[in-house]
Amino acid sequence: MHLDPFELHRPESVDETLELARRYAGSFDYLAGGTDLLPNYKMHLNLRPHLIALEDVGELRGHSLDRIGAMTRLADLERDPEFLRSYPAIAEAVREVATPLVRASGTLGGNLFLETRCFFFNQSYFWRQSLGFCMKADGDQCHVVPQKEKCYATFSGDLAPALMVLDAEAEIRGPGGARRVPIGELYDGAGDGIRRTRLAPGELLVAVHLPASARRRRSTYRKLRVRPSFDFPELGVAAAGRWEGDRLEELSLAAGGLETYPRRFDALTSPLLGAPLTDTKIEEVASKLRGLVRPVHNTFLAPDYRKKMAGVFTRRALAGIRPGATA
Amino acid sequence: MSDPTRLRLTLNGHPLDVVCPPERILLDLLREDLNLTGTKRGCDLGTCGCCTVLVDRRPVLSCLTLALLAGGREVTTIEGVTPASGLSPLQKAFVDLGATQCGFCTPGFIMTAGALLRENPHPSRGEIASAVAGNLCRCTGYSKILDAIEAASRVA
Repeated sequence: MHLDPFELHRPESVDETLELARRYAGSFDYLAGGTDLLPNYKMHLNLRPHLIALEDVGELRGHSLDRIGAMTRLADLERDPEFLRSYPAIAEAVREVATPLVRASGTLGGNLFLETRCFFFNQSYFWRQSLGFCMKADGDQCHVVPQKEKCYATFSGDLAPALMVLDAEAEIRGPGGARRVPIGELYDGAGDGIRRTRLAPGELLVAVHLPASARRRRSTYRKLRVRPSFDFPELGVAAAGRWEGDRLEELSLAAGGLETYPRRFDALTSPLLGAPLTDTKIEEVASKLRGLVRPVHNTFLAPDYRKKMAGVFTRRALAGIRPGATA
Repeated sequence: MSDPTRLRLTLNGHPLDVVCPPERILLDLLREDLNLTGTKRGCDLGTCGCCTVLVDRRPVLSCLTLALLAGGREVTTIEGVTPASGLSPLQKAFVDLGATQCGFCTPGFIMTAGALLRENPHPSRGEIASAVAGNLCRCTGYSKILDAIEAASRVA
């Protein structure tokens, strides 16, 4: 499949990138690793006349324990044993993204801003045309939940839930300067489902920052997918906690792959602080989370099954971060 | 300012200097413009690994790489790892152990496995399986491919 023509821009600094973003507002995409964008372009999904390649922007590269540049390749994180040891949830999430070949090009920023996915969206132009298209590309209706207001395509990034439970923050630069927000606030749960980020026009993710407290937490990421290599998550649950003896001091839980955005469940976890995390409490949280999530029928596995498994994976994740747990 | 469509890179050890439109994918440049058809087009979406080439010695999916972004780098295709006199030890192991049937996935496997063996000359079977997890084969069932890579690692 050949790509349709576009103009390629190759800025070398964040300032130059922001200037290009301003100049081509509304008519460009950022190109990071290309492993999500280019397949979508090959399928003629929401093409733009300008691509701003971030490859040459040095400020977006490199990582340490505290900061991961947005253009850091997932494979580079995978090759850093100290980083992997420090953040088990990120390690498990990174290793489960697609295949080693995709991770060789795929980037942190790209994974955080993956295009949401749907059985009716990720198809060829010809296939989509036969159904009159959908509201996420070229059409005005939704084939999953028939109505014309909201798109239900699923957010399928693995890194977001793992970073969310570690209280990571996104460093954003834009026309208004620099700002930092918790990773969860990058996503818009209330919108129409199509524009799924809260970045203002012209803003760019520069890096993700990890607080020192994240290294004191036990954490895990559990992913359900059909084939153990390549597939996007049918769901992914991340959990992180810190104990004093057997008393829980901090706990966070997040899930992705189930809805249009990844979300954290602080209301479920905050009542558990200050006491041991017993099997009964884990079961209660798992059951409540299962009741809260609303998967729809737009991925390979049926929504009822994914809902049930959201409970099972939550139980496994929480049990997996208790002191003394082996897996 | 230099011409943004001018692409200069090192291809299989030789300098390449061509004019290339921005939308040209590296795989298409190799196969259609340069007639290097050893690199295969499988899924064209990054799923199958048939199009794997090395960019600066690391395996990359050429179907998801803009050719212009390979500028200044060292690109190696299956033609570049095949000795003029015959086959490399890895290629020979694939032939000897029946790791190739229809052969369509083989160039991709050779590129990925070759990069693995250069970085980790004596990988475990598990490490080999993980490294080639992005290369799909519809014929062999993978056992013979893993056998061949293991055998080549003993020769190295």
